[in-house]
Amino acid sequence: MNMTTPIEKRDFKIVGKSVRRDDVLEKVTGEAQYTGDVKLTGTLHGKIKRAAIAHARIKSIDVSRALAYPGVKAVLTHENVPRVLHYGSPHPRSASCTKDQYILDDKVRFWGEGVAAVAAISEEIADEALDLIEVEYEPLPAVIEPEDAAQPGAPLIHDVGPGGNLVLDPVRVNRGDVEAGFALADFVLEGTFSGGRPHPAYMEPNVCIADWDGSNKLTFWTSTQSSFMVRGILAEVLGLPLTKVRVLVDHMGGGFGAKQDCFQHEFLCALLAKETRRPVKMEFTRHETFVAGRSRHPCKIWLKQGFKNDGTLVARDMKLVYDSGAYGSHGPGVTIVGTTAATSLYRCENVRLEGRCVYTNTPINGAFRGYGVVQSYYALDIQMDEAAERLGMDPAELKLKNVVRAGDIAPSGHPILGHGLEICIQHGVEKIGWKALRERDRTPDPKHPHIRKGWGIGCEMHGSSAYPGIKEQGNATVKVNEDGTVTLLTGAAGLGTGAHTALAQIVAEELGVRFEDVGTVHGDTDVVPWDIGAFASHTTYLVGTAAKMAAGKVRAAVLERAAMKLQVSPGEIDLSEGKVFVVAETDRCMTVAEAMGPSRGIPAANIVANGTYEPTKSYSFAAHFTEVDVDTETGIVEVKRVVPVHDIGRVIHPIAAQGQIEGGIQQGIGHTLTEDYVIDKKTGRSLNAGLVDYKMPLSMDMPDIETVILEAAPDPGGPWGAKGVGEDPIIAIGPSIANAIYDAIGVRFHHYPITPEDILKALREKDA
Amino acid sequence: MKRIVELTINGEPRDMAVETCRSLLDALRDDVGLTGTKKGCDVGDCGACTVLVDGEPVNACLMLAVEAEGRSVETIEGLQPGVDTLHPLQDAFMRHGASQCGFCTPGILMMAKKLLDDNPRPTDEDIRFGLSGNICRCTGYTKIFDAIKSAAREMEAARS
Ligand code: FES
Ligand code: FES
Repeated sequence: MNMTTPIEKRDFKIVGKSVRRDDVLEKVTGEAQYTGDVKLTGTLHGKIKRAAIAHARIKSIDVSRALAYPGVKAVLTHENVPRVLHYGSPHPRSASCTKDQYILDDKVRFWGEGVAAVAAISEEIADEALDLIEVEYEPLPAVIEPEDAAQPGAPLIHDVGPGGNLVLDPVRVNRGDVEAGFALADFVLEGTFSGGRPHPAYMEPNVCIADWDGSNKLTFWTSTQSSFMVRGILAEVLGLPLTKVRVLVDHMGGGFGAKQDCFQHEFLCALLAKETRRPVKMEFTRHETFVAGRSRHPCKIWLKQGFKNDGTLVARDMKLVYDSGAYGSHGPGVTIVGTTAATSLYRCENVRLEGRCVYTNTPINGAFRGYGVVQSYYALDIQMDEAAERLGMDPAELKLKNVVRAGDIAPSGHPILGHGLEICIQHGVEKIGWKALRERDRTPDPKHPHIRKGWGIGCEMHGSSAYPGIKEQGNATVKVNEDGTVTLLTGAAGLGTGAHTALAQIVAEELGVRFEDVGTVHGDTDVVPWDIGAFASHTTYLVGTAAKMAAGKVRAAVLERAAMKLQVSPGEIDLSEGKVFVVAETDRCMTVAEAMGPSRGIPAANIVANGTYEPTKSYSFAAHFTEVDVDTETGIVEVKRVVPVHDIGRVIHPIAAQGQIEGGIQQGIGHTLTEDYVIDKKTGRSLNAGLVDYKMPLSMDMPDIETVILEAAPDPGGPWGAKGVGEDPIIAIGPSIANAIYDAIGVRFHHYPITPEDILKALREKDA
Repeated sequence: MKRIVELTINGEPRDMAVETCRSLLDALRDDVGLTGTKKGCDVGDCGACTVLVDGEPVNACLMLAVEAEGRSVETIEGLQPGVDTLHPLQDAFMRHGASQCGFCTPGILMMAKKLLDDNPRPTDEDIRFGLSGNICRCTGYTKIFDAIKSAAREMEAARS
């Protein structure tokens, strides 16, 4: 369908304009209500006792002192919560998840896992009560490194799954004939790559509030990207019909993918509230957002590729091992997406890929912007630079020669549409004067002789949906009010990206009303249509199309009524800026409100329509051009300038799209140079679970960013050709930095983060 | 043990009965009901809780509520000069897309206000340095810098 549907052309009134976002007035005045701001009378505070051991069986838990402590209202352990095996991230339409967790188990699988929960009249009392809970453990040998976990005879972390500490059966992709491909190669490059454990570090710690009413209905406020998923799994595990669970989420302080699990604390909060018959609030400390939140999967990659002397890529053989941490969560999805993504980016007919995902006794890794692809494309893109070096070719030229183009088969199995990546690279090469930079005088500035400058390119592509891993569905409901204003109901989460604004723009544009006349209702599973969750860069693409469809139906209904009232046929009238008019006679017109109202025996209208969309996938593309200064004395790498060139199809809200790109670059710079959530290799204990020890790029560290957004390859699968943007920037920036460091100092790094110690050590080795 | 603390919040005299161990942040959010000030870490690392105390920026999570006795506290709820008017910084943040998830926004706005109060014509470096204690994880700061520069220009123009 994507190949044949033409993209409708029109002069846009609202799409493509940076209208004022619907959520920002509240945000700049402090009125925006986040989950933690919700206040219910009589709320108790819930706290979780966390294990200080990485792998153990619980021999006994004594909660008697905690229960007797004044102010404590309830204590939960594995002995008094329902024992239901469930998913961490139950994407309702994905077959690849593993049910591997209980709310509380008699086993501990990582340092920091919750083993008991307390509700008390104050946070302090709850905290004090945690210390009164006595847990006796029988320690089990812990496996912290994926290599150790994968060894035959390694201690098993779970009884479920395919065994051998695998989260799922290895993901294998074979295209063409890899051996034959290597036989054609003039040279072969082989290398190992590895990625650390960056943490999303959204500013709003996870928080939820549970409240049961007299009819045994649970109302649950939680900071989640996937409210319907949370509703579904809470209902399943607690044994309730969906009518008895209502999930609410208004504003969210970020999530970046990581707030799309159903978390242990969410179950515990609901159960504590049930037990005490009072509202219970559970708010993570910052430390807990690390330990009990989700981080990116550390990954080890072996990559071997064969090239011809003219730069043609003839064979790719790749093995990836993702570290899932103690539970499956998004491990299966990440492994499938990250592995299959490596069929593409640079075209190659003969490809053999094997992706594994391994349990370890470490905190759980989950979904995070760039979902497995950050890891695999880091390796692909760096090795492409190495091939250019080997060939004596300009990496831009080699990348241009090999990038995917229209008609190539994408990881999803669909043909790629358009030459988006090629156009991005070409645009960036021109814009920054890449050729001249390559030929520049490399003598260091005599004033700063220890500073070496370098430039690098990083390329990526990313799908705007989770298809085919998940058969997605986007839904929207649009209704017209009697005064001519319009209400959009959507389940899409308000992560902070501006998604609701983009959806309202789409509705206003399609329907023919002013943007200000569209109000959005979201964040209440009792009210809005079912939503799959905000992930896979898909909200604008997926829900946007559903919203456009609903708006189109509503428009037709309004036109029909107006035609009746104006006594013309619907084909003779048009609707624009809230006015219906006869095209040939623009004075004959009426407002949408007038069209809606009763007249001459016709009752007032009730116009409501749903849009439902099940897409396949489109791909967005980016090439990042990055300048770094490497200080050869301190080893510090400073990113000076980034020119990110993105093809995201039709741009709905330019400033919001730029914001996604620039924020993604910030996180990606961190991942590549400074950020790593470190787990002690012996004990499994977290070593830097706080915002001072976990080093993120802040205001002083940000480079100049000159964002370029091209509407190079619009995709008919999205509204007027719109594609996703959320994840792309974080994928492209990493290899651009690693390649720039090589350009600066002639040392190749195959891992992230590349720390000053790594730089100094490599420079010493190079000199020796 | 509770104590009565008398102070000024956003220009209004207030008193609050607080536990002596209560942070100013918790007192503002839970006792006074001003939830605009955010808690991103509770240990002084993120700046989400930045408020002005006697005109100086303070991480409200690191200050005890009882220490605010007799002092003047300004929070995001007091940044608007009037019910229907916005501070130029608020307006600029909206226009430039400087607020995404918005969780850092109240703290950054208070810090930016202090910055512009002290230094009406800040250089890029001044702005970067001024915000070095405020974490924003969404925006890459680019649009925040733009918004502060733009607000500074507008405030300057309004003065002259
Ligand atoms: S909450 Fe006060 S500095 Fe983070
Ligand atoms: S806007 Fe989300 S942390 Fe700054």
